[in-house]
Amino acid sequence: MSNAKVKAEIVSKEVEGKDAPWEPRITALVCNWCTYAGADLAGTSRMEYRPNVRIIKLPCTGRIDPLFIIKAFEKGADGVLVSGCHPGDCHYNAGNYHARRRWIGFNSLMEFIGIDMKRLHFSWISASEAIKWVDLVNDVTEEVKKLGPFGEYQDINKDGL
Amino acid sequence: MSDLTKIPYYPGCTLNTVAKHFEESAAVSAKTLGFELVELEQWNCCGASFPMSANNTMGLSAPTKVLVEANKAGDTVTTLCSVCYNVLKRTNKVVKDDGEKRRVINDFIEEDYDGGLNVVHYLEILRDTVGFDKVKESVTRSLKGLKIGAYYGCMLLRPFEDMGIDDHEGPTIIEDLLKALGAEPVDFPNKIECCGAHLGAGGKEGEEVVSRLSACVMRSAVGSGAELIVTSCPLCQYNLEESQAEVVKNVAGYSAVPIVYFTQLLGLALGQADEMLSLDKNKWDVRELLKDKEV
Amino acid sequence: MPRIGVFVCQCGNNISSTVDTAKVAEEMSKLPGVVLTEDYKFMCSSPGQDMLKETVAKNKLDGIVVAACSPHMHEKTFRKAVEKAGLNPYKCEIANIREQCSWVHHDTTKKIGTAKSIDLTRMVLERLKRNKNLTKISIPVNKRALVIGGGIAGIQAAIDIADGGRDVILVEKEPSIGGNMAKLSETFPTMDCSQCIMTPKMVEAELHDRIQLYTYSEVEKLDGYIGNFSVTIRKKARFVNEDLCTGCGDCWNKCPFKADSEFEHGLTKRKLIYTPFPQSVPNIPVIDKERCPKILKDKCGLCEKVCQPEAIDYTQEDEIVVEEVGAIVVATGYNLMDEARFAPYGYGKLKDVINGLQFERLASSSGPTGGEIQRPSDGKVPESIVFIQCVGSRDESKGVSYCSKICCMYTAKHTMLYKHKVHDGQAYVFYMDIRSGGKRYEEFTRRAIEQEGAMYLRGRVSRVYEKNGKLMVQGADTLSGSQVVIEADMVVLATALVSRQGADSLAQKLGIGYDKHKFYSEYHPKLKPVETITGGIFLAGSCVGPMDIPESVSMGSAAASKVQALFSADMLDREPITSKVREETCNACWDCVTACPYVAISKKEIKNRKGEVIRMVANVNDGLCTGCGTCIAACRSKTIDLAGYTDEQVYAALNAF
Repeated sequence: MSNAKVKAEIVSKEVEGKDAPWEPRITALVCNWCTYAGADLAGTSRMEYRPNVRIIKLPCTGRIDPLFIIKAFEKGADGVLVSGCHPGDCHYNAGNYHARRRWIGFNSLMEFIGIDMKRLHFSWISASEAIKWVDLVNDVTEEVKKLGPFGEYQDINKDGL
Repeated sequence: MSDLTKIPYYPGCTLNTVAKHFEESAAVSAKTLGFELVELEQWNCCGASFPMSANNTMGLSAPTKVLVEANKAGDTVTTLCSVCYNVLKRTNKVVKDDGEKRRVINDFIEEDYDGGLNVVHYLEILRDTVGFDKVKESVTRSLKGLKIGAYYGCMLLRPFEDMGIDDHEGPTIIEDLLKALGAEPVDFPNKIECCGAHLGAGGKEGEEVVSRLSACVMRSAVGSGAELIVTSCPLCQYNLEESQAEVVKNVAGYSAVPIVYFTQLLGLALGQADEMLSLDKNKWDVRELLKDKEV
Repeated sequence: MPRIGVFVCQCGNNISSTVDTAKVAEEMSKLPGVVLTEDYKFMCSSPGQDMLKETVAKNKLDGIVVAACSPHMHEKTFRKAVEKAGLNPYKCEIANIREQCSWVHHDTTKKIGTAKSIDLTRMVLERLKRNKNLTKISIPVNKRALVIGGGIAGIQAAIDIADGGRDVILVEKEPSIGGNMAKLSETFPTMDCSQCIMTPKMVEAELHDRIQLYTYSEVEKLDGYIGNFSVTIRKKARFVNEDLCTGCGDCWNKCPFKADSEFEHGLTKRKLIYTPFPQSVPNIPVIDKERCPKILKDKCGLCEKVCQPEAIDYTQEDEIVVEEVGAIVVATGYNLMDEARFAPYGYGKLKDVINGLQFERLASSSGPTGGEIQRPSDGKVPESIVFIQCVGSRDESKGVSYCSKICCMYTAKHTMLYKHKVHDGQAYVFYMDIRSGGKRYEEFTRRAIEQEGAMYLRGRVSRVYEKNGKLMVQGADTLSGSQVVIEADMVVLATALVSRQGADSLAQKLGIGYDKHKFYSEYHPKLKPVETITGGIFLAGSCVGPMDIPESVSMGSAAASKVQALFSADMLDREPITSKVREETCNACWDCVTACPYVAISKKEIKNRKGEVIRMVANVNDGLCTGCGTCIAACRSKTIDLAGYTDEQVYAALNAF
């Protein structure tokens, strides 16, 4: 699934009601300067992609506290994607390097707490890479859809610790 | 002299045959300086040239087998021949740095070698392990007054990023050694030019290239005042020696100079007898000159 | 309970064709804290903004969400509008339902777009509820500038800033300003005499009421931030009292000792009390303390005896001066690569192998030979000269991957200068490619080749050696496909331009970036070529990379105009998106200090009433903080937070999905 013209065929549960097929919910944590602008460009260019992503804008990927990601899963996200400026292009000089380094350390923690790393995507998308953004959203949606709903946290909440 | 440092030594094909005097003089000099060249128990031809095409992994398997053998003998292996040195050192680097090639080669030769060996030329042992200062102290027969052109050829120094033995454009390692022996090195422009290498094996045309290139080297050295040329490679030695007669014939005012291995001069300076150094094996005898110069 | 208004924009039919905006507004009205919603055709239009203002004022709203286009489009517009209605501008947030929703989901049943817009707006709404009133940060600006480097770029910047009515401090590490340009004979492509155009500039800088020169001085330390820098300058001891010295020259005329002249690149000698060159600015000598016997072992002292104004002071010591400035221009220039790295070309061994700047001195009428081309070994006028280009440049094995840019042009100039001075002389040039992009540059190199008879050979030189008193230049002529050996009387190497020695340590002192070649990094190579990542510090000239005189001058002027723009207001307004420390919980681990790319966080002492330090906490400097938030994610005790993007706000948005 990697073309910018993929037809969005899914509808949010809120609109279609409970019988609609399951669709993953994906939270995107992106930086204001590169990826947010890249996503804007996808809009200005009238590209089309899967509607499963909800973007949260941050100044820089360096701002991302790993707990944001855990919180997103806790609150029902089935997948999380993190995207910022390419290495060397950070608006703040080095924030994305910090994010990358943190990511490496964070990876093993995520695995340890039992989150399938396929639910978590990290990428660099510049302000001009609208197509890359579209492909990323489509690919991540597809992949997370294959994995099915992420229910571990909700189960814990339900059953109690 | 029982506690000689033993250094694994890879001779390669020529050192046991046409360049026997190179090996012998290196071996006796080594002993004087406190180390011993220990020939590898098993060895094969290094391949004689490093495969230049990127995907020719096959050509790397022969030298890797040598490296595997050497690795059994110690953590360092030394060579005398510049070509062997070049092939082994570069192959070792490939095996060390390129995981994919390392896997393929090891699969093929059924070994598990990681490129951990240290490949050094005999000159490096003299410089880095023994030290030219110690060499200088050990000199009993100074080569004072001998004007010598140090001829490096190409394989010892290049490609620079792989070899790193010395500055590839302005090497001084042999000159530094000669100075330690009391001689007077003569700098000459063609000291790092190619002698023609193995093109001589390529028929008449190749022979012509070799004699032309070798002639340039010798004329350059002699024109700069060298009375004697030293080499560090059997191929260079062979090409220069074989080409000199023609230079004498064709170039007015050129008179032949002795061409010897640096180890032969080293042996002389360390007080070894002429016979031990096989000085008679050189095509252009150095003994006359030594007598003239009262060395 | 907050009083929030949600305004959903239809954007004509840009949004409304795939999003049911009325439905979005309706859904929002059900959420706690929302007191009114609007579904409006064009929120950004004048009537739309007026409506917004009126509604905010009338309903006493304390926060609004505009669900419309990207905040990159109209966030400023709407924030300005609500500010006029009396609301803090940072209590206005934008939900991006156009670029990131209606335009990328083409479902005309509007189901997808509407559902996503509801989510997006709700997330922004929850975030907005946690927004605080923020005030733009105002920083006072000290309207004095510092220029580091007194070459042509630095002089130009200094003069421009000073002409604009601002005081400038110009720091130069050599005894005289002038830099490399002062050494040149003529300049390409106009062939006007470098000193004739440079000297007046130097004098202008010296005499300008608003420029204060610090020659023979170096920047030792920099503190502060944009608008408020504090610079520590080391004035190296000249051993000559600048106020008393008249520059008469009695001292250097009488000094009995000599050393190689740095300015003449060793082609001639200078005295141990000296000015680098006769037109030095200031015309005040320095004593070479490394060599002067009086300084070293208290012998001689002749200069003191002959100095009538009694300006010589052997006891002088380095002086440390602190200056306060608001902006800095870095113009430290270049060095030539060390030719010793080119053994086959014989530089240093063969006397008649020289570099480009040495040739400039030979050709200069104020140079060691009075402008006559004479070879250094025996003073003979060379009958032929070989110029070798790209010595080091474009040579990865020498660590220089770049083109030094000016050498093709100055070599062509050298061949002409030579031809003009030695009519029978033959110039040969070995080149890789002739790169003569620039106004009238190509015509200039063509002239050298076609009219001035320079012989251009395309190929590399393998070595230069001496034979029978001649220099033999052996190289390849790739156009004829042959090896050539050219006999020459002199060889000139166009050695690579490299960054100034010590460029990296200066960059570290200033907190600006540099690349692997130690050239300084622009903020953006195309759109912000004179800015650095550090606010208030600008770049000019070849400290950024090899460049010629016109470019250096342009960049000097460009940097000056940036400085003047900065100085045009008394206060500097900045977005209030900066990190804040909650001092009570800071446990002084300093992870934030390590993480901050801007050196904006320092260690602050907390003292008790007796003035004793009881603990240390992190302290953010608003002037330096750019609001990236990297420190926040690093903070273990959640002590530091980013105004405008607080943890609370981000979690609220996450929770709302």
